[in-house]
Amino acid sequence: MSRARAWRSNLVLVLFAAALLVVFAGFPFAWMISTAFKESREIFATPPSFLPRSFTLDNLQRLFVETRALTYLKNSIVVSLSTMAVTIAVATPAAYSLTRFRFPGREQLAGTILFTYMFSPIMIIVPFYVMMRFLGLTNTHLGLVLAYTAFCLPFSLWMLRTFFQSIPIDIEQAAMVDGANRVETVLYVVLPLSLPGVLATSIFTFVLTWNDYIFARILISADELKTLPVGIADLYNASVVDWGMIMAAGLVILTPVLAVFFLIQKYMVVGLGAGALKG
Amino acid sequence: MSSPADAKGFSGRPTTLAIARPRGTPRLSERVAGVLLVLPALALLLALTLYPVVYGAWISTFNKHSFFPEQTFVGLSNYAYVLTDAEFWVSVRLGTIYALSSIVLQIVLGVAAALVVNERFPGRNLVRSILIFPYVIPTVLAVILWKWLLNSQFGLVNFLLEDAGIIDRPISWMGKDWIMVSLILVSVWQFFPFVLLGVLARLQSIPGELYEAAAIDGANAVQRFVHVTLPQLQAVLFIVILLRSIWMFTKFDTPWLMILGGGAETYIRTLPVYTYQRTFAYYEAGIGATMAVLMFLMLAAIAAIYFRLFRREEAL
Repeated sequence: MSRARAWRSNLVLVLFAAALLVVFAGFPFAWMISTAFKESREIFATPPSFLPRSFTLDNLQRLFVETRALTYLKNSIVVSLSTMAVTIAVATPAAYSLTRFRFPGREQLAGTILFTYMFSPIMIIVPFYVMMRFLGLTNTHLGLVLAYTAFCLPFSLWMLRTFFQSIPIDIEQAAMVDGANRVETVLYVVLPLSLPGVLATSIFTFVLTWNDYIFARILISADELKTLPVGIADLYNASVVDWGMIMAAGLVILTPVLAVFFLIQKYMVVGLGAGALKG
Repeated sequence: MSSPADAKGFSGRPTTLAIARPRGTPRLSERVAGVLLVLPALALLLALTLYPVVYGAWISTFNKHSFFPEQTFVGLSNYAYVLTDAEFWVSVRLGTIYALSSIVLQIVLGVAAALVVNERFPGRNLVRSILIFPYVIPTVLAVILWKWLLNSQFGLVNFLLEDAGIIDRPISWMGKDWIMVSLILVSVWQFFPFVLLGVLARLQSIPGELYEAAAIDGANAVQRFVHVTLPQLQAVLFIVILLRSIWMFTKFDTPWLMILGGGAETYIRTLPVYTYQRTFAYYEAGIGATMAVLMFLMLAAIAAIYFRLFRREEAL
């Protein structure tokens, strides 16, 4: 009897703490969404209303008509998807090789990968910029994609390696005993089995690229080439801050992240261990 | 700095699973194939990550403009200049205050939140998702969300505080007295989920028998936490604190974006922000590179001390 009561009071306490945490973590998003759909009179009204009384799409419309948000959005999509493609194309064979082939220096290479993920962008940004300028790659999306690929490679290799390692080598050997060669084994046995891992790694690459501010800030100065994070920061930095429009921009940059978040949630721990979302 | 995640991952399980490999000397073709598959990734890593690190150290010995190719060799005089620059030391101090306070708060909040969502209650999965979410959003979004909430004229936070009678004048959250507090608040909000995730993964792998045994011995909740949970969390906390320290000490975008649009700049000009400004506002690539090298050396020294103080055999 008393045990049941203790359990129930414990539950109340846990629920209360969980509610506080949810408000802390989630309320800023709710407030952004609410603001994004309010008319400007209502945005600055006192007392503020929690739900928009005057539901309007005006902020979103102005964002796309009066600013270059659509260009930034397009650039972000192009750069993120390209980075994803290049990174996965380069990292998948390398990670497979690291788990299945033996060659001199293999273990050192794995160690180096981990070492690089402890570097922060700010520590290499100066030489990186000078280098890119020398190569004429500033103000190009190619330069940006190269920067992001370099940044995403270490964790992609590490994550993919983990996924490949979790595939029992017996299955591959069985396929080879059945007469499949190495390429067929990889195509028909290894890749299908590791597909969730490859997808998860791709999404992490996408999110990291999508979110980045510093590389895009430094490498891109032409307005028509800017990605969303830089575009939004500049929009915010304008002389008069249009909060409705800024919150609408927040909605735009948030949506893709929210959409893929649920796909990768169960890989978050693996991803964090590999440095996929460092910062 | 060795590689902390090498031996044990966040769940405390070995991540480097020993896999069965065919015995004997690998055939030559196998070695060649192995190297060929790694080559593109290796080339990119060398060219775009390791080379810039070395090149950065090289640049730091030159008087170099950020945009133009001309450069003059100056030996170590950039280091002499930076180390006697008062602004540099101010930025080190501000960076340390920022990193330390936000790390402590992230750890406390992250561990507490992990303990809460490790309990069983209805809607637990949704709660976990919501708590993790701030960590995956762009920093620029995190900053504008809070800049709006903390806006001194129209912000909700000031309204609620005034409404509740806690303050009678609006607080200027981006002003000189409060901007560091605001910056720490935003950072804790954005980064505590990292701690939550790491700790939660470890909590889930603690055997329930340990708690049952402690309960039979008459341990209360606090005693169970101190004597059962904390020792089990030691390894994961070691890694989490190390990584968070590296990343908070080198954090650029959060403080930089807090300054945008009228933040009290000099009060949160941390070392990464100052490095950025010397390079891209004053165009002194040599000085910027020097500060980046010094940042790296300071981190390496702190990491070495940290390892010596806390490293236990079972921790790694």
